[in-house]
Amino acid sequence: MNPSADVVARLLAAVPKATAAAAPVKDYPTVRLAAPADLLPAARLLKGELGFTYLEMVTAVDWLGPVSLGGFVCRGNPNPLSRKPAAPPVSPVPGPGISYRPVLDLLWSFGDLGENRKVFLRLEVPRDRAEVPSLTGLFSAADWQEREAFDLFGIRFSGHPNLIKILTPDFLKGHPLRKDYIHQEDEYDVDR
Amino acid sequence: MSTDEMIVTGPGLEMDTMFVNLGPQHPSTHGVLRLGLTLAGEVITKAFPDIGYLHRGTEKLMEARSYAQCVVLTDRWDYCSAMTNNLAFCLAAEKLMAVPVPPRAQALRVVMCELNRIASHLIFLGTYGIDIGAFTPFLYAFREREMILDLYEALCGARLTYNYIRLGGVAADVDADWTSKCREFLEFFKPRIDEYDTLLSFNPIFLARTKEVGLVSKEAAVDWGLSGPNLRGSGVSYDVRKSEPYCGYEAYDFNVPVGAHGSCWDRYFCRVQEMRQSVRLVEQALAKLPTGELMAKGVPKIPKPPAGEAYAHVEASRGDLGIYLVSDGGVAPYRLHVRAPCFINLAILQEILVGKKVADVIAVLGSFDIVLGEVDR
Repeated sequence: MNPSADVVARLLAAVPKATAAAAPVKDYPTVRLAAPADLLPAARLLKGELGFTYLEMVTAVDWLGPVSLGGFVCRGNPNPLSRKPAAPPVSPVPGPGISYRPVLDLLWSFGDLGENRKVFLRLEVPRDRAEVPSLTGLFSAADWQEREAFDLFGIRFSGHPNLIKILTPDFLKGHPLRKDYIHQEDEYDVDR
Repeated sequence: MSTDEMIVTGPGLEMDTMFVNLGPQHPSTHGVLRLGLTLAGEVITKAFPDIGYLHRGTEKLMEARSYAQCVVLTDRWDYCSAMTNNLAFCLAAEKLMAVPVPPRAQALRVVMCELNRIASHLIFLGTYGIDIGAFTPFLYAFREREMILDLYEALCGARLTYNYIRLGGVAADVDADWTSKCREFLEFFKPRIDEYDTLLSFNPIFLARTKEVGLVSKEAAVDWGLSGPNLRGSGVSYDVRKSEPYCGYEAYDFNVPVGAHGSCWDRYFCRVQEMRQSVRLVEQALAKLPTGELMAKGVPKIPKPPAGEAYAHVEASRGDLGIYLVSDGGVAPYRLHVRAPCFINLAILQEILVGKKVADVIAVLGSFDIVLGEVDR
């Protein structure tokens, strides 16, 4: 018997518009939520009734398209034997089954440490209005991980008690893990 | 040693709070961590860990690097335990590419990761002793660690950033000379662990500084997402090597040590016991080292994994290191996220430091064994 099949069935029954994700995380049960409002009921069900007390991961994917090379500090290759600067390998064409679209795809991973089960929740939000409810009320582990997603992706977690930058310096504008992020020159870029 | 709040109140005894800035350039913060502490007398009323001083944006960098180049970057997260970083990334990429790893490479991965766990826990043991005020164990711990680093140097030429575990296998084979040196080290090392116990683990001063300090309950540990020895120190027996075995860990005989109360000492002693288990694992892996290939057939030099998503996690020295990898079919990962155990373990500090005395801050911080390279990535 596959214990995770039961979890997915319970989630789908409790959250009416949720679906089993078409492109799951390989080897793990993955449920796609339809709207941000579904997140808290699903998380409450997982924690309260199904025993998933361990919030393992909060992260996101920007599906805008290939990463903009302007987001990197690119200097010419100083090797005189090399004809041209080494260009980072970024392919402009997506593989089969991938469609680039202006959304941020959030991913939560919940674990049940006693039963060794794991389930992923995902939720797409538009890039320009990226706002989802915070899970800090249910899992303390969400605190810093949501701050990280806020800092690097610009996702607002409503209800988070302390939603401030965590990894990037205060002067940095923008959200570096968004695919269209462009690096702005600062005082540390100048070679002295 | 009680660390109860001892604020005397009454008319005329009102106290101002004081703000103390610990770090970012302070040896006891194990790197570049800044702790903003608000004190009322000697008691902490608010703790604010400030991180990001070592943020190098490796997740972003990997979006413009080929998979083989990414392995090099993984070394730079937890630089005290780079083998497990290599392994976590390679497992995720191999899952995407559906590459079967040859048995000899699997066994060598186990040997190297467990040796790295010993080396990493030795750093913890030495530096935690220094944090508490015991300088001597540091010298012993680093003597043994040096022997492991020599083994690594003979194996792959590097002492810290190995790039040894590659996509589909491992980079170099071990010969009879290396295995005999490794066995020699294990025989030398086993009695040393008992020596650490007499030197530090059951030292009355050390016990007084750590035994009742920094208590984390089972529920709090799970709620804050702790992993590794920090979670097991609180009595939760969770180890990825047991719950989701990789590299054939299910075929090895080892125990998962757990602590009783979740104090600093429990977290410390979990690591000491884990070193014994790692010795057992290395011995078993060397005893039944299969012959055969080191690299899987059919892994191209510039791999293009099929579009899809994979998650792989390993029990790294400091906890549950997970890699979430998204491929769009290109030569570079479309997105890579690191579930960094140190980053998540550190978040609990803001809660458990409150109400402690300022003298206990270093004991609590040190017991979580953070590496800032992984906290900030």
